[in-house]
Amino acid sequence: MHNVWLIARREYLERVRAKSFLIMTILIPALMGGAIGGIAFMNRSLGSGQHIAVITANTQFAADLQTELADPHGLNKPTIDAYPPSEPGIRDTLDRQLKAKGSTLDGYLVVTPAATSTDRPSFLWVPKVQSDVITRSRVADAALGALTREKLTSSGMSSAQIDSLLKPVDLEAGSGKSDHAGAAVASAYGMYFLMYFVILFYGMNVARSIIEEKTSRIFEVLLATIKPEEMLAGKVIGVGAVGLSQVAIWITLAVAAIKSGTIGQDVHILPSALQAALFVVFFLLGYLLYSSIAAALGAMTNSEQELQQMQIFLMLPLIFSSLVIFNVITNPDGPLSKACSFFPFTAPLIMYTRVIVGKPGVLAVAGSILGLIVTITIVLWIASRIYRVGILMYGKKPNLPEILRWLKYS
Amino acid sequence: MPIVELQNIRKVYDTKVAVEGLTLAIEPGTMFGLLGPNGSGKTSSIRMMIGMTVPDSGTVNLFGQPFARTALHRVGYLPEERGLYKKMKVLDQLIFLGQLHNLSEVTARKRSLAWCERMEISEAIDKKTEELSKGMQQKIQFIAALLHEPDLIIMDEPFSGLDPVNAELLMTTLIDLRKEGKAILFSTHRMDQVEKLCDAIAIIFQGKLVLSGGMREIKSRYPRNRVQMIFEGDDSFLQHPGIAEFKNYSGIAEIKLTSPEAAQSVLSDAIARGTQVSRFEVMEPTLEEIFIETVKGTPEFLAAGGKIHA
Repeated sequence: MHNVWLIARREYLERVRAKSFLIMTILIPALMGGAIGGIAFMNRSLGSGQHIAVITANTQFAADLQTELADPHGLNKPTIDAYPPSEPGIRDTLDRQLKAKGSTLDGYLVVTPAATSTDRPSFLWVPKVQSDVITRSRVADAALGALTREKLTSSGMSSAQIDSLLKPVDLEAGSGKSDHAGAAVASAYGMYFLMYFVILFYGMNVARSIIEEKTSRIFEVLLATIKPEEMLAGKVIGVGAVGLSQVAIWITLAVAAIKSGTIGQDVHILPSALQAALFVVFFLLGYLLYSSIAAALGAMTNSEQELQQMQIFLMLPLIFSSLVIFNVITNPDGPLSKACSFFPFTAPLIMYTRVIVGKPGVLAVAGSILGLIVTITIVLWIASRIYRVGILMYGKKPNLPEILRWLKYS
Repeated sequence: MPIVELQNIRKVYDTKVAVEGLTLAIEPGTMFGLLGPNGSGKTSSIRMMIGMTVPDSGTVNLFGQPFARTALHRVGYLPEERGLYKKMKVLDQLIFLGQLHNLSEVTARKRSLAWCERMEISEAIDKKTEELSKGMQQKIQFIAALLHEPDLIIMDEPFSGLDPVNAELLMTTLIDLRKEGKAILFSTHRMDQVEKLCDAIAIIFQGKLVLSGGMREIKSRYPRNRVQMIFEGDDSFLQHPGIAEFKNYSGIAEIKLTSPEAAQSVLSDAIARGTQVSRFEVMEPTLEEIFIETVKGTPEFLAAGGKIHA
């Protein structure tokens, strides 16, 4: 144990003292925050139909269209230019305006009244950018809303009645537990990506540091005093502790920021103590599983390039997890979620997400943890065998039968 | 009681036999040379000696006991492939390696500083390993192998890459350690390097022991039938019946005699013919010659095409 501790301590201190640790710790949240903020900011002005033109004889329709296009919070009031169809050459003028540089016009809508009053008018939409499907669908929605308003008005409803009828429906959470469904989903996503990133990053870190030791041949010196298993254990523990420290720093900062009210006043975004404890448990199990696979990959390969080819084996289950994560969040106790939360290679991420957003039950969580522990034991056994033989082999890249034979070596 | 005792050890990697039936013993206070060409199984044997790999059959005894990992704290190992953590500072690195050998941090630090002074690399202590020259890194690794004052010191190709001055420094240090009663195992393919140093040797070839014993005893087994001569004038004495073969590099002759006794007769013949002899040396065979002499007839040697990269 003394040796494991020495190796782990060295790995930990060397990594935490490195400048890259500090940079990563600051840069990752900054980049993530910046990216999310930036995307949100850009999306606000993107395809929102801020300025459109309507060619219609019906001025009330143009006014209704403007009401419908305005967002519910009344933040951005769109500009609607209404032109009567009688105006000569109006479409040519608008076409030119669409092509003009610096024009804010997003497109124009031509409304042709129907032959009979019971039929719908037909619509022609000429956008500035053909691929702007967001504006297109918003205009279509707004046109439908305007038509509805027109019909309701003609059937004798007052505009106040119509407004209250057409306003968006607010769904309240029925259980009374928490009506911060959005916050729960956000925190589930947040924790998921945190775990995903740290497991992948630090798992690969283990593989890389094994390759580094192989290239520098330092392990020949180490193996003269300690067992390969101790080296492997020390490495996995040391690197894992670095990951955990980094996550702890981030979470502490995030909690401090939320508590002090700097970002988001929604305290419900914080996980409960039990959820936090389970985060640590699933993080550790996930990390152990993936880092021992990574250790085996590292021991099998001789260079970073070779490792990169093998990296896909490590990433596949993680990528799969991120493909099903949306399904899991929206349907946390459905069959797919259940299956993935028991499949050991996706269990750490998926079961933890289910713990936050669903109700997996104590037995299910315990079963998933047990399954993970069994899998980790098997993987560690295989990894330490491959590691033991693999680090002494160099030069030639081993093939599968050779690796299988390594498992039998004493 | 021998420090190391290998009994009939054998190791096979897949289809390649790395070591076959190797038996040897290293006594305390000796410098032991494990010799052989590249790929003959020296490193494989050492790895089994220190438990890095386990022999398929045969036994390994260290310090008179069957191999146990606890004995490794009495072994210092300088591997052939040098390796240090590149980004770590020299002193931290030495302390870490010392701690792995069960030293306390304080002792490891104290000894590291003393050794760095002895090896004349004190100025490197605070530098990162990657900033140092190769020779310096080698010295650090050398120190790392000795920090815990091992009773058995294993040096795999210790002089490769060292300049003569530093090689000499290493050699004197090792001789001092031998005086203290430590056993030193040298593994090298450069047989000429260990000729002066070693008390006992084992030569392996293709995984098999071909020759072993005390240096003097081995050398005495081979006849002193080689002469090196520096002369001026008449070279007709080279036709003397006591000379089996000769090479004459105009004034410097390498002669192989039919028997050691012929030496005196050759010398007097040369003088009688009026040749000016400025040097006449009867030489003992070098290890390399003994090695080639020994393996010449073996099927392995013939299979290797009669060539040895010694």
